[in-house]
Amino acid sequence: MNEVDPLVRKFQKELSAGTVSFLLLAQLAKAEAPLYGYQIAKQLEQDGDGVLSGKQSALYPVLRNLDAAGLLQSEVEPSVAGPPRRYYRITEFGREVFSAWRNTWQQTQTLVNTVLEGAPQ
Amino acid sequence: MNAYTPKTIAQYLDMLKDALKGADSSMIRDALYDAEEYLRSELAANPGVSEAELLARVANSYGAPEEVADIYRDTEITVQKALTPPKKPAQASAFKRFFAVAVDPHTYGAMFYMLLSLATGIFYFTWVTTGLSMSAGLMILIIGIPFFILFMASVYAISLVEGRLVETLLGVRMPRRPLYQAKHSGWLDRIKALFSDSRTWLSLMYMVLMLPLGIVYFTLAVALLSLSVGLIAAPVLWWMAQLGWVSFHGHFHMGTGSLDPALAAPFLFAGGILLLFTSLHVMRAIGQWHGRFAKHVLVESGAD
Repeated sequence: MNEVDPLVRKFQKELSAGTVSFLLLAQLAKAEAPLYGYQIAKQLEQDGDGVLSGKQSALYPVLRNLDAAGLLQSEVEPSVAGPPRRYYRITEFGREVFSAWRNTWQQTQTLVNTVLEGAPQ
Repeated sequence: MNAYTPKTIAQYLDMLKDALKGADSSMIRDALYDAEEYLRSELAANPGVSEAELLARVANSYGAPEEVADIYRDTEITVQKALTPPKKPAQASAFKRFFAVAVDPHTYGAMFYMLLSLATGIFYFTWVTTGLSMSAGLMILIIGIPFFILFMASVYAISLVEGRLVETLLGVRMPRRPLYQAKHSGWLDRIKALFSDSRTWLSLMYMVLMLPLGIVYFTLAVALLSLSVGLIAAPVLWWMAQLGWVSFHGHFHMGTGSLDPALAAPFLFAGGILLLFTSLHVMRAIGQWHGRFAKHVLVESGAD
């Protein structure tokens, strides 16, 4: 178990590095209203453990980078609970990129499933 | 990790700040901002839970300060790399590019190769002519054929060595291993492969050609370098002589008869510098050309 654990974590880390941007973009493509970091993190948490468990802090830098790359746009609004919140919404360019990423993801998914088929548990 | 659990949000933020010490300051600010937003939102979403209890729980969702710090350092690097399109190389000015040749290692590799090529050229040429004529002469004896085969194998080996030389000095990727041959093929097959490979014959030609090429390269390198160094040194020495720093026994002549040395000196100096850098460009270009030529003849020509 002790030998497997670090390797599982490594695998999770690599997977999450590859999928976090995609998941965030998907989350925001679905959203009807702009979302702020905490909301996005909580929604992803509800949707399951998986690769993001225990590292919701990892989402924030990714959000910021997506913003900087023009896939998202953001505005700051004051909040009662604490510091002003940054609300993110997806841009047109972001939607374009998302659908392209989605194709890639579906191809990858098909490939992985095909390869996994018949592999012993 | 749990040696010290923060009790308040302010403590958590302090710990995060400590953990990020030394990182980029705007990244620290972002990290603190994000953490505060998350923690305060979490607090607002869970009324009735004490701050300390909440922070203990947060270690599993948002992460402990040290973990968060690690994540920020990692993610910042990875995501930045993934999302920013590769930068176009900065377009240097023509002036800069002209003089940058002096700091390009390939220039000196090419220069050294050109100076060395006379020696290698003589060796290759001698080896090939001796080997071929001895093979021809011995052909009437029984040892003629094995001698010829051994000689051709040596040509192949030398072509690998020359490849190493070309890669090191001219920066053209050359093979590091002999050509793959089926492990269990007999020695007759190997000999047949050696002789039916056009590269073996082209290597032979390359080795012969290296003598004239080497002579040209060596002469060019020596002439260009000594001419430009001479052009630079003459006015410098003349100026030093004028200042009385050095004195010459005998005659020191510079410039044409009608031209005043004081007038000629700056032009000679500038001309020398210009010629020196032009020579470096010429040598680098020759190096590149020869690298491509060697690769073509020794590696690519017979590729199947």
